[in-house]
Amino acid sequence: MRSSPQISEEIKPWLFAAPAALIFLVVLVYPMVYSIYLSLFQWNGVSSTKVFVGFGNYIELFTDNRVFWIAFKNNVIWVLLSVTVPTGIGLALALVLNTGFAGTALFRSVFYFPAILSMSIVGLIWSWIYHPTLGLLNQTLHALGWTWLELHWLSNPRIALYSVFVSAAWHNAGLPMLLFLAGLQTIPKECIEAARIDGATRAQIMRFVTIPLLRETTLIVIAITAINSLKVYDIIYVMTYGGPANQTQVLGTWMYFLTYNQNEVGLGTAIAVILFVMTMLFAVPYARYMARDQ
Amino acid sequence: MPRASRFRVGSAGFYTLIGVGALLWSTPLIVLLFTAVKTPGDFAQNGALSWPRSLELSNFSEAWRLGIKTYFMNSLVMTVVKVPTGIFICSLAAFAITQMRMRGANALFTISLLGMIVPMQMTLVPLTILYQQIGAIDSLVGLFFLYLGFGLPIGILVLRGFFRSIPRELTEAAFIDGCSWWGVYWRVVMPLAKPALVSLLILDAISTWNEFILAQIFLRTESQRTLPLGVVMFSGEFSTQYNLLAAGQLITIVPVLALYLFFQRYFVHGLAGAVK
Repeated sequence: MRSSPQISEEIKPWLFAAPAALIFLVVLVYPMVYSIYLSLFQWNGVSSTKVFVGFGNYIELFTDNRVFWIAFKNNVIWVLLSVTVPTGIGLALALVLNTGFAGTALFRSVFYFPAILSMSIVGLIWSWIYHPTLGLLNQTLHALGWTWLELHWLSNPRIALYSVFVSAAWHNAGLPMLLFLAGLQTIPKECIEAARIDGATRAQIMRFVTIPLLRETTLIVIAITAINSLKVYDIIYVMTYGGPANQTQVLGTWMYFLTYNQNEVGLGTAIAVILFVMTMLFAVPYARYMARDQ
Repeated sequence: MPRASRFRVGSAGFYTLIGVGALLWSTPLIVLLFTAVKTPGDFAQNGALSWPRSLELSNFSEAWRLGIKTYFMNSLVMTVVKVPTGIFICSLAAFAITQMRMRGANALFTISLLGMIVPMQMTLVPLTILYQQIGAIDSLVGLFFLYLGFGLPIGILVLRGFFRSIPRELTEAAFIDGCSWWGVYWRVVMPLAKPALVSLLILDAISTWNEFILAQIFLRTESQRTLPLGVVMFSGEFSTQYNLLAAGQLITIVPVLALYLFFQRYFVHGLAGAVK
């Protein structure tokens, strides 16, 4: 009789965690393992036979799939732009909003608002802004007389990706802004005060006190932004559908098109695995760094 | 420094500058709002940013009738059922991880972290195969379980952060007083965690309402579509009647905006909790 309560004390936590653990197994763990397995086969998703090709799918992507490299390059561009542009806007807004002028809350709401919208809505709104004739952008450029700038923002292969990026940045600046604001709140007022008494100008305080003390927040923001931006999918799907001529494909969308439109399940899952590995390159150092504090 | 002082914090120049910035930032929404109340003629003939000539509220009822109603109801039911269920499951797991002596707590927590990071593409194909086998494709019930799964990580993270700050002595005292573990969870920890639970509720409601990728891949027929997907499909069907589209998009935005404005304080709190 003595052992039975002990056993149940061991099991009890798992009774509480069972629903979560079960769902994780079915929705996350099993699919991940199965995706890795499938990436080693050539399979159209329908037939009952899968042909084992080892790393063949990966080799085919690297050597023989032109769009893969377009998507890869676009993903790298997207990540580099994401960790600088919306993050920079977020930091600038946070620094201004942190000065504590009257009406801060209102302006914070206005600047954060796009961040709570669905990416599909953001994509739809901006698709119309970019409309060649009826869109706000070209109408404004026309009114200003800058007709040479009236471009086909989403169908010109050289600029389409950047046009989409601008709309994503409008959505993505909000989170860094909030995180930087939270980071700024933790900076002791005495540090700033001491620098001011020592005769530092506003710019010097910014450069030598505020920015260095935001180091940790900056790391967090950049890690989160990099991880999220690698996964970009919906805004591209909605605004360009990967076009024109696949020039705005990223790994997420190309995985989708290969798998679901071209029935290349092996190639698709291989892209998913590559994307996962790229994500882990950012996530593992970040997780290590965060674990160090605890 | 005369130039710098002209834009000193709180000065008229400063407010002009930030006011213009805020206005530019809101332009896409202003255009959307204007377009949603314009007649087709007004939209086609006058500029995108022109003041509406009339207040065409029938655009909203028309968009509602042409499909937005179905999508809206689907999204509403999904959000109302999924969010509390998900939070309940998350809170149970977070309680086990933080308050009980749980073997494997770290493993469960690591999987949660992994779930935050893994690109969804990594799970799509096996889930599609599984759903085809069990007949859960094109079903809101099927999608519900996927939403539960992909919502768990952030929920467990936020609640774990909060539950950890509840002193163990408190829960252990209740335990010694004769409370069962369930009693500790339900009568001690959950009431204390109300602010964190509300934050999570808001965050999760907004992200459930907004979800696009899974809906796009797993839903097929029109009657099953949720709003983010439905609105995109709607745009394909009525691409020339942008005033209707704008009305549909505005209907999609309003509930999220209301949640955000009413619970802003909790919202910021929850986001900070999710990151730390």
